[in-house]
Amino acid sequence: MSEVVIDVRNVKKMFRVYRDRGNTLKDRILFAGRRKYEEHWVLNGVSFEVKRGEAVGLIGQNGCGKSTTLKMLTKILYPDEGTIEMKGRVSSLIELGAGFHPDLSGRENIYTNASIFGLSRKEIDERLEDIIAFSELEAFIDDPVRTYSSGMYMRLAFAVAINVDADILLIDEILAVGDAAFQAKCFRKLQEIKGRGTTIVIVSHAMSQLELICDRSIWIADGLVRMDGKPRDVHPRYMEWMSRKTQQEEKKEDERENGEVSETDNEGNLKRWGSGEARMTGVKVIGADGTEKTDFSPWDPFTIHIDYTAQKPLEDAVIGLAIYRSDGTLVYGTNTLIDTSSPVTLQTSGTVDLKIDGLSAANGSYSIDLAIHRPDGFNYDFWRDICTIQIADKVQTPGEIALSHQWDIH
Amino acid sequence: MIETLKEIWAYRSMIRSLVHKDLRGRYQASVLGFLWTFIVPLCQLAVYSLMFSIIMRGAAVEKFYLYVFVALIPWNFFSACLTGGASSVVAQQSLVNKIYFPREVVPVAYVTSSFVNMLLCEIIVILVSVFSGVPFNVLAYLCLPLVMLVEYIFALGVTMIISAIDVYFRDLEHILGVVAMAWMFVTPIMYDSSIVAGSRWYSLYQLNPMNIIVTAYRDILYAGKVPELTKLAVLLGISIVLLWIGFLVFGRLKRRFSEVM
Repeated sequence: MSEVVIDVRNVKKMFRVYRDRGNTLKDRILFAGRRKYEEHWVLNGVSFEVKRGEAVGLIGQNGCGKSTTLKMLTKILYPDEGTIEMKGRVSSLIELGAGFHPDLSGRENIYTNASIFGLSRKEIDERLEDIIAFSELEAFIDDPVRTYSSGMYMRLAFAVAINVDADILLIDEILAVGDAAFQAKCFRKLQEIKGRGTTIVIVSHAMSQLELICDRSIWIADGLVRMDGKPRDVHPRYMEWMSRKTQQEEKKEDERENGEVSETDNEGNLKRWGSGEARMTGVKVIGADGTEKTDFSPWDPFTIHIDYTAQKPLEDAVIGLAIYRSDGTLVYGTNTLIDTSSPVTLQTSGTVDLKIDGLSAANGSYSIDLAIHRPDGFNYDFWRDICTIQIADKVQTPGEIALSHQWDIH
Repeated sequence: MIETLKEIWAYRSMIRSLVHKDLRGRYQASVLGFLWTFIVPLCQLAVYSLMFSIIMRGAAVEKFYLYVFVALIPWNFFSACLTGGASSVVAQQSLVNKIYFPREVVPVAYVTSSFVNMLLCEIIVILVSVFSGVPFNVLAYLCLPLVMLVEYIFALGVTMIISAIDVYFRDLEHILGVVAMAWMFVTPIMYDSSIVAGSRWYSLYQLNPMNIIVTAYRDILYAGKVPELTKLAVLLGISIVLLWIGFLVFGRLKRRFSEVM
């Protein structure tokens, strides 16, 4: 059992919402004692623990209290009731570029910004090279920050925050930084940091990103922990709940002729969900000989063929794939946005072929998730465990992947 | 309390970079840049010498421009703390609302930055003092750092309290603008305190800490003599108590800063 580094116990938080926002002397004197406010309890007793090295995602609807929770972990806000204990140095990627001065150079701003995270000058000196290299701004580092594009600005800010080397890293919705290439880089860096044993807490709406990095998701609703568990179990429940909620709110519009998609498996876990604006009507895994197959060697090329229909042509679609091993490990995931950096256009009906040059994975059973979604993560059709393929090599080799190889002995 | 001080010490590089950012950022976009730090007091000096030699010729005090200048620079520092220091936390709300750091860092950095600015101006004051033929008294000059320290602690104590209260009660900034003006006139900057000597308020007048501080600067840099050390020592004690109260008040009020901003 590893050590608990974040211990949140029965935390409650109330905000006073004033009807009249009188901050002046006149208001204070005239309305002393009868300033009307409503108590708005954002959190009603949230408890959870996070162990060292865990990566936890906080999810929930806007206003559910997840950002408030994160702010309390950061010690920007304090709970009204309950306790929060944190062990180790905390760094937050909540506000990127805090304290940047537009007229100072990138280099000088690195010093300012890093010092806000509590780094000493010596520590910053040690990290300066890494920070500049990560930001990819070597050529501009001595120019004033006001001459930077917003992308450059965010890159510099992220580079500083991620190089703090904290024990606990708190992140709020920042993985939307820069272009796809830089996002991917941030992601790799996060995974590297996680690999080093840093505890990570992320607030995000991008479920797919959370699934890639988090071991655990905590769903907060109405100021309470609604569900706490593996992302793959929590997210479908949450998505379904959200879409039901949206449905209720949008009922008046009533333009959902086809209705949304929702299917569950025998155990009650959600298998398929989404708005239904686009839906997969058929999925086949096709071998090199053109026939439908489920058994492959690690080297056999295969094609995933998808037939789809859409209620109307969609210009902002992303088609995503995730392959899981039977024990739940994510083996590989990608989508068209990662690969091409721009959304794809779908017609009212059509096909998608994804060619894969062999799974290169160890013998075993692999299940495939497919999704059509928007770049912001809103799902048109998310289909979990759509099909399973068996990988069997002629020989049994140790390890998790299969490497294409050749001996050359003289 | 000890914990807070330790934490502020751990964040000293933040204080340093805030001071650096303030001093460098202030004039960064201007053509003359950092030189403005020196040009402004020099221009002030020019205006005062012109004014007192032409317009208010009757001034009874010799080298009246220096008499005023020597007191004005330390006053400018304190006045900046009173007006700008009050809103220092509010001005940094984007930081306070987004990132954790010991909030005390903000007023400390503000006062320190204004203090460093004063130190730079003091270079000019000393040069003018020497060139005006004020006797260079080594013992007197040795007291200068003490006077500055007393003023720094006093200003910091005041700033801690007002910057924390201002978050909850923004009118304070405007009130303090008026207070600063009035305070300037009850401090002997533009006149000699002997003018007030006959008033029945004189004993109260002398309790003004800035009176003691300004007079000490004037003793050293205008009269070339050692200031009254007992008064300074008492004021040092009072300032330390004030600073301690300042930390307590700030510590109480800081927890809800980002809820009200």
